[in-house]
Amino acid sequence: MKLTRIRIEQFKQFRQALEIDGLAPGLNIFTGPNEAGKSTIAAAIRAAFFERHRSGSVGDLRPWGDSSASPKITLEFQTRKQHYRLTKSFLGSRRCELEAGTLRLDGAEAEDHLASLLRYEHAGKGASKAEHWGIPGLLWIEQGRTQELREAVAYAADHLSAALNESLGEIAGTGGDEVLATIEAQRNELLTPSSGAARGAYAEARRHETALAGQIRTLTERIDVYRHNVDTFASMRQAHASDEAGKPWESLRKRQHEAEESLKAITGMQQALNTDRQRAAELDERLGLLRAQLEAFDNEVQDLTRRREARDAAMQLQASAAEQVRQWQEKNAQALLRDTRARAAARLARQEHARHALNREAREARAKVAELAAMLAKADAQLASRLALQAQAAASEISSQDLERLRRQADRRRELRIQQQAAATRMHFVLAQDCVIHLGEEILSGEGERLLIEPASLALPGLGTLQITPGGMDLAQLEREAARCEEQHAALLRHLAVDSLEAAQERHDQYRQLGADIKSADMTLKALAPQGIDELRARLLKHQARAADIDTALGKLPPAPAMIAGAAPGIISGAISGAPSEAPIPGVEDAEAEEEASRHALEQFAQALNQAQLAAAGAHHVLESAQHELARAQALFEAPQRADRIREVNQQLTDTRAERSALDERIHQRTLAIEQARPQILEQDVDRYRRSAEQQEKQFRERREALLRLEVELQSAGALGLEEHRAELERDHTQALRRVEELQQRAAALDYLLILLREKRSTLTRRLRAPLQKHLDHYLQLLFPQAHVQIDENLSPGMLTHTDGQGTGGGDFESLSFGAREQIGLISRLAYADLLKEAGNPTLIILDDVLVHSDEARLVRMKRILFDAATRHQILLFTCHPERWRDMGVTARDLDMLRRQT
Amino acid sequence: MLKLLHTADWQIGKLFGQFTPDVAALLAEARFETIERLAQLATQRGVDLVLVAGDVFDLQGVADRTLYRLFKAMTGFAGPWVVIPGNHDAALAESVWTRALRLKAIPDNVMPCLQPQPVLLESPGVAVLPAPLTQRHTYTDLTEWFAGAETPPGMLRIGLAHGCVQGLLAADIDAANPIAAGRAAQARLDYLALGDWHGARRIDERSWYAGTPETDRFRNNDSGHALLVELAAPGGVPQVEAVATGRYHWHSLEPVLQVPSDLTELVQRLAAFAANDVVNLSVSGRIDLEGHRRLHSAIEQARGTARGVLVDLTGLQLDPSVQDIESLQADGYLGLTIQELRAAQDGPNAALARDALVLLTGLLSDRRAAAARTRP
Repeated sequence: MKLTRIRIEQFKQFRQALEIDGLAPGLNIFTGPNEAGKSTIAAAIRAAFFERHRSGSVGDLRPWGDSSASPKITLEFQTRKQHYRLTKSFLGSRRCELEAGTLRLDGAEAEDHLASLLRYEHAGKGASKAEHWGIPGLLWIEQGRTQELREAVAYAADHLSAALNESLGEIAGTGGDEVLATIEAQRNELLTPSSGAARGAYAEARRHETALAGQIRTLTERIDVYRHNVDTFASMRQAHASDEAGKPWESLRKRQHEAEESLKAITGMQQALNTDRQRAAELDERLGLLRAQLEAFDNEVQDLTRRREARDAAMQLQASAAEQVRQWQEKNAQALLRDTRARAAARLARQEHARHALNREAREARAKVAELAAMLAKADAQLASRLALQAQAAASEISSQDLERLRRQADRRRELRIQQQAAATRMHFVLAQDCVIHLGEEILSGEGERLLIEPASLALPGLGTLQITPGGMDLAQLEREAARCEEQHAALLRHLAVDSLEAAQERHDQYRQLGADIKSADMTLKALAPQGIDELRARLLKHQARAADIDTALGKLPPAPAMIAGAAPGIISGAISGAPSEAPIPGVEDAEAEEEASRHALEQFAQALNQAQLAAAGAHHVLESAQHELARAQALFEAPQRADRIREVNQQLTDTRAERSALDERIHQRTLAIEQARPQILEQDVDRYRRSAEQQEKQFRERREALLRLEVELQSAGALGLEEHRAELERDHTQALRRVEELQQRAAALDYLLILLREKRSTLTRRLRAPLQKHLDHYLQLLFPQAHVQIDENLSPGMLTHTDGQGTGGGDFESLSFGAREQIGLISRLAYADLLKEAGNPTLIILDDVLVHSDEARLVRMKRILFDAATRHQILLFTCHPERWRDMGVTARDLDMLRRQT
Repeated sequence: MLKLLHTADWQIGKLFGQFTPDVAALLAEARFETIERLAQLATQRGVDLVLVAGDVFDLQGVADRTLYRLFKAMTGFAGPWVVIPGNHDAALAESVWTRALRLKAIPDNVMPCLQPQPVLLESPGVAVLPAPLTQRHTYTDLTEWFAGAETPPGMLRIGLAHGCVQGLLAADIDAANPIAAGRAAQARLDYLALGDWHGARRIDERSWYAGTPETDRFRNNDSGHALLVELAAPGGVPQVEAVATGRYHWHSLEPVLQVPSDLTELVQRLAAFAANDVVNLSVSGRIDLEGHRRLHSAIEQARGTARGVLVDLTGLQLDPSVQDIESLQADGYLGLTIQELRAAQDGPNAALARDALVLLTGLLSDRRAAAARTRP
């Protein structure tokens, strides 16, 4: 389609008519600043085609403020080798005329013809909207909407598909998708879309079938139980009948009774045996008694002999005990004598020993008294001399301080004198022979020297007097101090009653010597009487008293024995001298040892004697008893009838033995018989038969009751008609199963069909998209070499993948940058245009201010693309950037210029 | 002269789950009606007694109403009914028979023989030797005792047994409950009335299976009869007449469709079925869409007229013709799908492909029909 002329009158901005003529078949560029009316031209073309001329809702087409205007558009174009002229005016004068060669169409007819020619629709009511615009909506791009592709494609989808089908030269199917949707809906009635699980009627049928199967299972279990019970019932009944006829317990009872009879016979025999055994025991007891009696007689004889022997032994024992007593009495008397002597000797020894000790003490006491008296005399003398020294010392006492003071005074005096001499006026004189001078009172002659310390008159005989006054105050002061010091010294000397320092020193030394002497005297006294003289004296008195006491004690002692040596030989050896000697008396210890030994011996003997006497008494008692026993035994032995009695007992013994022997034989026989009959086994037999019979009877009874129970049970179960019920359920189940199978088959077929249809559709769609892909790829390679864009189900561009230096990248169309989307949007539309053209459809491309977001490099590529497209399609390009489009090989028309020209 | 009616295998209580519920109910009901007809027949023909050779009931545990219903159906003949239990209703310690006796549901003229003891009927002068099954299955010949059984001289000796005559019937018949071949002759029987085999069948001149009086499955032939037996005198050869008693005729069809006329023939056969026909149809071969439609409509018609129609088309391959496809206007990928489904019928998913093809073509022709309706 090629527009050749456009005339616009009273339309929006164009109050005045605007005419554009001589439009090129390829690219036409219109430039002008904003508000110059570029978009208005595009709007006029849209209105001419899309809006019904009768539409009342196109008031916005009038110039602003001009309510009486009739917007009018005249278009001339050529398509399919036919020239068309469209004249359309709105509102004021509503008109639409289409001329094509000889064809002239008016009004709605003209409009519908145009719509089918360019492939768009008119709005049913009101102003035309994007969804009506079809193919032109895709190719006539409004300002700033290049990138908004998807909707435009959707609105053009049918026209595009038709074009694709035509271009493919093949029928893609009429209503295929409707069939597909129907199949899918039918399939989804039976199966869930996602997992393919049963649903709806199919699921319900399966549930029903499963429920029936479950009921049948339950019922079958009950029927099996019932049948089993019937069989049990039959076998039990047979067993019961057999028992009732045979009565097996009766024979058992019979055998039980037989065994009981046998057992009874054995019991009688057992009793006889027991009687025999009892008798045998009695006889055994009697035999024992008889034997014991005979033994008793024998024992009496033996007893007599024994008693006699015992008496003899007792007599002997008594004699020996008496001898023992006698011997011990003798020894005891001797020991008594020895003890008496030993005690006397010991007493004497102790007495002499004491005397000896007293004598020695007396001597010692007297020596001590003498010694203490001497010491006391010496101490008294010493004390007297010390008192004298003390008096002497008191007279000559001079203290060390005083002496020191004296010494210091003397030193001071000397010191002053030296100072005086140093300060004094030295007067040296050498007098002529015999010449004298008088110094004060003193007469001086010869050669000498005087120190003058105080004013002096020097009388020079014959010459007068020289009054010499030593210079300075010091000398006078010194003189005064010397005088004071001298006075003090003298006063102290007087106080001390000495006449010089030397004398004081001497006296002090003397005093010190006296002190030492006193100390020495004290020492001596202390040695003599360390605790004082009085104590010494007291000690002396004490010792004197002790000596007196000892003498008194000695006086009280009995006189010393003159001669006792014979009585206690070796005891007091020292006493042989006969005098109370000084030497100590030995033997006290020995005497005391003898005393102890004899006392011990005496005790021993006394004890032995006592025991011997006890033994003798015991022996006497035994003897008495033995004699008594003997007498009794003798009496018994000599009793009358004893021999008769012995004979009688012997006779009885013989008889009893005979009877016992006979009894033994009988017991043996009976025991043997009982053993052979085995009574325990017989008892077991009785028990066994009895229990067996009871068991049989019990079993019979129980079975009879069980049969009754089971019969009732079976009768009530049978009344339920279980098997018929199961047959009914099975019938229903078979029907349910059939329904499940039918639905399953249908679902499977639908599922299979759906998959197959989708697969075929997908294959076909891919093939349909191929030509569009070809055109798109053509432009895409010019924009992005190495790139590829997919075309989706809706024929919109989808995933873009491109390979550059960094590798492969890409993304969905919607995720691209604004600039890239605009570019892809534009080349997609160019590709649709190519496709439509191939299918013989009219194509006109209107681009209002496009690619304003493209960078320089992309714009260069896009210009190549547009130039290429313009070789196949007419393109109207409106821009406010004329400088960007100078290299397109066409002259841009300036809109202002056009308006002026018109 | 003795006239008796020999029948067996009533299988009362049997249900027919393979059919739709309404058909199943009618078929179950028909069994009672047949018994009523048997009673009428016995009365009309003036028989002396009716022998029922086992399997009166299909189950032991039938409902009480079923019991009452059956014995009610038998009241049309007032003469003696001598009945033995078969393997389905064996005389167990507790059985459908003990229950019926306990319920006093059994009329006085009906004599269930639960013990192997001769039944002597004075007036017609006949001794019936029954061999009732007392277990569900037995492997001993229960007719063994017949030979040794003494019967009053001059009386006819008639055996009544349920089981499988050895060596005569097909091998797939259960070998349980055996009956020795030649038992009638060996036991000096004038007639041996047999049950178990569901078709009427002659074993020898004195031994017959009566078969079930109302057909209950597709397999057996010659079912749906009772035997009318006439015995002139002891030792005479019995005169046996098979009288049709069944209401429903069971047909089993397994056509293979190869050429168009095969279908035409099948459609005609289907059209010929009437109200008392029960049909089992199993079709195989190939068919185009038009043929499929015809077959489908013929089947639907048959379902309308016949008592029950079971259909199995799994062996049938759907093969749309060029005209079919053109008429469907299945273009685009629908056309491709149809091609693929046609081909897939030779593959492992043949049944699935056929079902899918039926669905798709059905949908398409419905659409076309709808479009045709809206067009004018």
